[in-house]
Order: sequence, then structure tokens, then C-alpha cells
Amino acid sequence: MADALFLAISVLTIGSAIAALEMRSLVYGSIALMGTLGGVAGFYVMLDSPFVAMFQLAVYVGSIAVLILFTVMLVKRELIFKKIEDPKRKFAGIGLMLIVILALGAVIMDSGIKTISTDSDPVDFREIGGDFLTYYWPALILMALILAGSVMGALVLARREDTIENE
Amino acid sequence: MSVIAPKFRLGYFLKGIFDNAFWILTIVTLAGIPAIQIVLFYLELPVIDGELLTAFLAFTWLFNPTMQVPLIKALIYSDLFRIAAFPGFGFAALIAAGTIFVERKMLAKLQLRVGPFYCGKIEGILQLAGDGLKLISKEIIIPAKADKPLFWAAPVLFVGTAAAFVALIPVAPGGWVVADLDVGLLAVFAVIGFFPIITILSAWSANSKFPFIGGIRALHQMVSFEIPLILSLLGVVILTGTLNLSEIVESQSSFPWIIFMPIGAIVFFTTMLAELERIPFDLPEAESEIVAGWLTEFSGMMYGLVQLGSYLKLYAFAALFVIIFLGGWTGPVFWPPLDTELITEGIPIPNYAGDPILTVAAPGLPLLDKDPNEWVMQEQGGLVYTSGQLLVSGVIWFVLKTVGVIFFILLPRGVFPRIRLDMLLHIGWYKLIGLSFVNIFIALGLVYAGVIGPGGIL
Repeated sequence: MADALFLAISVLTIGSAIAALEMRSLVYGSIALMGTLGGVAGFYVMLDSPFVAMFQLAVYVGSIAVLILFTVMLVKRELIFKKIEDPKRKFAGIGLMLIVILALGAVIMDSGIKTISTDSDPVDFREIGGDFLTYYWPALILMALILAGSVMGALVLARREDTIENE
Repeated sequence: MSVIAPKFRLGYFLKGIFDNAFWILTIVTLAGIPAIQIVLFYLELPVIDGELLTAFLAFTWLFNPTMQVPLIKALIYSDLFRIAAFPGFGFAALIAAGTIFVERKMLAKLQLRVGPFYCGKIEGILQLAGDGLKLISKEIIIPAKADKPLFWAAPVLFVGTAAAFVALIPVAPGGWVVADLDVGLLAVFAVIGFFPIITILSAWSANSKFPFIGGIRALHQMVSFEIPLILSLLGVVILTGTLNLSEIVESQSSFPWIIFMPIGAIVFFTTMLAELERIPFDLPEAESEIVAGWLTEFSGMMYGLVQLGSYLKLYAFAALFVIIFLGGWTGPVFWPPLDTELITEGIPIPNYAGDPILTVAAPGLPLLDKDPNEWVMQEQGGLVYTSGQLLVSGVIWFVLKTVGVIFFILLPRGVFPRIRLDMLLHIGWYKLIGLSFVNIFIALGLVYAGVIGPGGIL
């Protein structure tokens, strides 16, 4: 049962990732991207971490995908890309991807991941939260500062100077 | 002169009936019965009185009076009943139908009108059924240049997402919820995140100006109000230390959280109005500006499905407000506790002179108690009740509170005008987020002052 579910989610994830790259219509491509991100959320559920899965759904499918859709719908398609059909580049890209996947797979397989026992209990998300607030608090505060800084930077960059023009 | 059937002949009529009967019999024999057999093969059937309930046994027991109560009880405690009827879709759709009726009549009374009047003798109570029939029988028109797959899928997805939201809402004590997740509140946030996607996709797929403007407005509104919505509920999560909605309700057995978090409740109520696209935040459907917003191109039952989904969503949001701030199903139990003698001994049956001749053991309240053969006792407020009594009382309290919240959601529609888009965004991004942070700091202050939480006074 778990294997069938794993296969189904894998097919969904990889298939919609390929569709997201290959679709001619940008809107359908972003819908396929949503399928990919939802499939990743399914993997998290299978790995006994529903907390991460729900955040994956809420943040990636609920917000990032909406942002992409919004951008795609508001921008004229001719402005952002021209149709370049080049089979050589396509095959080169596929080959590069295969090389990267094989290299990463070899590294991961060589890293001792096979010796991890998989029947241990899942970690409760409350423990993770407690660890974040006690042992790893400097990392948490650093992340918060980086996020706040990036948001402020984005606000400064995106600010329009309408008020000066009006005067 | 127009007649309904100008070329009516009895022979054709009979031939039509026989044709239909022939095809129905053929299809049922060739496809229906095998399909039922396949479904029965995979269905997990309950065990009643030590016997596995097969289809034959179920038909036999339908006519056996002593087995009917266990049979119905097994049905009530099955997953299908939960999803389709009681805490799930049917219950929510019933409340949604009631909401539509009350909304029309109440707004009419607020604005000194009469409202629907002619359908049904009492207050036009059959108007909703008439509207439903009208929507089902109307033609579904799809714009010529619409993106057909998305345009077809959008109403169905909308209802499906609303039903998923309903499935997360616990209704009564004892696990009366379709999906009892450990991360229930996060699942609610994840489900709410799907609504803007469906809205913008349906708006885009109609390939028309008014739906697109409405969809862009809906997207602005939903995305900017989702953040205060999430933040305003975090105060309660900090105080209770759990994300499970049933546990949040059980934490409010002595007082509801709205006493300590009135700011969070106000912020959540405002964001709820915005997420539901109700006046004063109904810019996506502003009928005086952009026809019907993102619903403009929908016709027939597609429009009906979107309306059904939005009223299911309304019920789910009101129920979420009740669960998190008003204490869900907690409240005084209406049903007085039963005699302990009745539970331990049974019901004494006297003879003509009043002397008890025999005692009949009472095996729990019929239908309501979970286990058919023994009493499941629970203590609440110093008194001992059976689980069936708590179920009845809990459902009544939950429905009363939810209906009250729905009333307050409907009320602004008769009172307030629509606000401007820039005012809406200003409210969302400045005031509500600020207020929800104030709410979070109040919760943190209560925890660190030792009032509530582990080792607190309350």
C-alpha cells in the first residue's frame, strides 16, 4: 500500500515537473508546478511529518504558486520570452540534468544513508519547536533578522516615487 | 395555439417507456450489479454481535426488530456517514441552506422589504428549493473563447475545497469530526490557501473582462487578509499549546478564549468577512461595478455550485470562530444525569400491585452511545453523564453558537456600504496585522505572567 502510494506520488511529482517545463501555456505550466509542490507535500506526509507537509501546502501551493500565476497573468507573454527551438540545447540540458542527478545520487548513496533505520518513531513537531526556542535560538534569531532585512530591502526597492512627481 | 406535445400518440409513449425500461435493465445487469459486487468486495464491513455484516445479512436484519438499532448504529459510526451526513457535507449543506433563507428574509426585514414570499405558505420557505430546481434545469453556457477544462473544473474544485474545509471542523465531543488531524489548524490554513488559486484560475479561464477584474481583486483581498487571519489565531495556539481543533475546544471547558483574546477575535472576524467576500469587503463580486465579479460568466448549476461552496465556506469559517474563540460544544448539559440505579441495575418492571417482578438491563441509550452493549460514562462539571447525553448537548450548543456567528456575518450586509480597494488593502496590511501582533503579545504576556498555561493560575 505504501509502495503504491509512493509510486503514485512520485509519478505525480516528476510528471507534473516535466509538464511544468514543457507546457506551451504558461498558466497550465504553473498549475503543473502546483502539482509538483503538492507531490512534495505528499512525500512529507508519507515521511510522518504532517507539520512540514501542511506548511509546504500553505506556503508553496498557497502563496508561491499564486504569486507565479499572478505574474504570468499580468505580464504579456511576448515580452518575457521569445520562442527559441533548439534541439541541441534541449538534449544538452537533458544530458546535464542526468549527469547532475547521477552525481548527486552517487554522493547520497555513498553517504551512509542506507544504514539509517527507518522504523524509529517520528519526531513530534512540539519537540522541534522546543529545540528551536532553546538550543538553536541564535539560528532562529539570525533567520528572523535575515528575513526582516530582505523584506525591508524589497520594500525599499519596490517603493514608487509618485509623491515627488505629484508635487 | 401551442400545445405541449403536438404529436402525442399513446403508442410512441408506451414505446418510450419500454425502451427506457429495457436499457435500464440491460445496463444494471451488465454494469450495475458487477459494480456493486466489486464495491462490496473492497468495502470494510462492520462486525455486529460477533457476525460480519454482509449484504444478505443486512437485508435480513432490516426486518428483524431486535437487530435494527445495532444496524443503524453501525451505519452512524461508519466513515461514509461521517463524510456524507453528520459532521461532514450534509450537515454543513443543511446549515448553508438555512443561512441562505435567513439571509434573504433578514436583509429584507432590515431594509423594510418583504423578501421571498410566494413559495410555500410560511415566509416563502420553499424559495430555496425553487431556486435550486431553476439552477439545475438552466442551460450551462460556456463563453466561446473560454479555457474549457479550467472553466469546467473551477466550480467543482471550489466546492471540493470548501468540503475539505468542512471536514476539518469538529462538531461534538467524542471525535465527531471527519479528519481529526494533529495539525488541524495548519491544515485549515493550507486549505484556505487554495481558495485564491481557484478564484484566479476560474476568473482567467472565462476570458472576459469582468471576471478577470473580479478575480484580480479577489486575489489581492484574499492574499493580503490571509496573513492577519493566520496571525490572529496564533495567540490561542500559544495559550493552548496544541494545533488539534478538538483539543483547543476541550481547553475551553471553563471559559472561552474570547475573554482573553477579544482583539484576536475581532481581527479574525474581520478577516473572515474579507475571505468570504461579504459586504463590506465584497469587491470581487461588486455587482454595481463589475456585473458579478469573478462569477459573471458562470451560468446554471456551475453558478449554483460556486454559491454552494461559498456558503459551505461561510459555515466552516463561523464554526472555526466558534471552535477557537467561543468554546465550541462546551456549555451546560441540557439533559439531567440518569439514575445510577438505571445504569447499574436496569429498568425495574412492576406487576399490578407495584412489586418489581423483573429488571430489564438497559444497554445504553439507543443510537447515541458509542458502544451498544455498555454505558460509556464521562464526567463533566462534577456530574456523570453518558456519552450520548454529552453528544446531544454538545451538538445543540455548537449549532446555537455557529448560528449566532453566522447571524453576525450576515448582519453587515444590510448595514454597511462597500469600501474602496485601497482602504481594504490598508486595513489588511497595516491595521489588522498590527492588531494581531498585539494579540500575540497579550498571549505571550499571559503565559509569562503565569496566568494561563503550564503552572498558571487558571
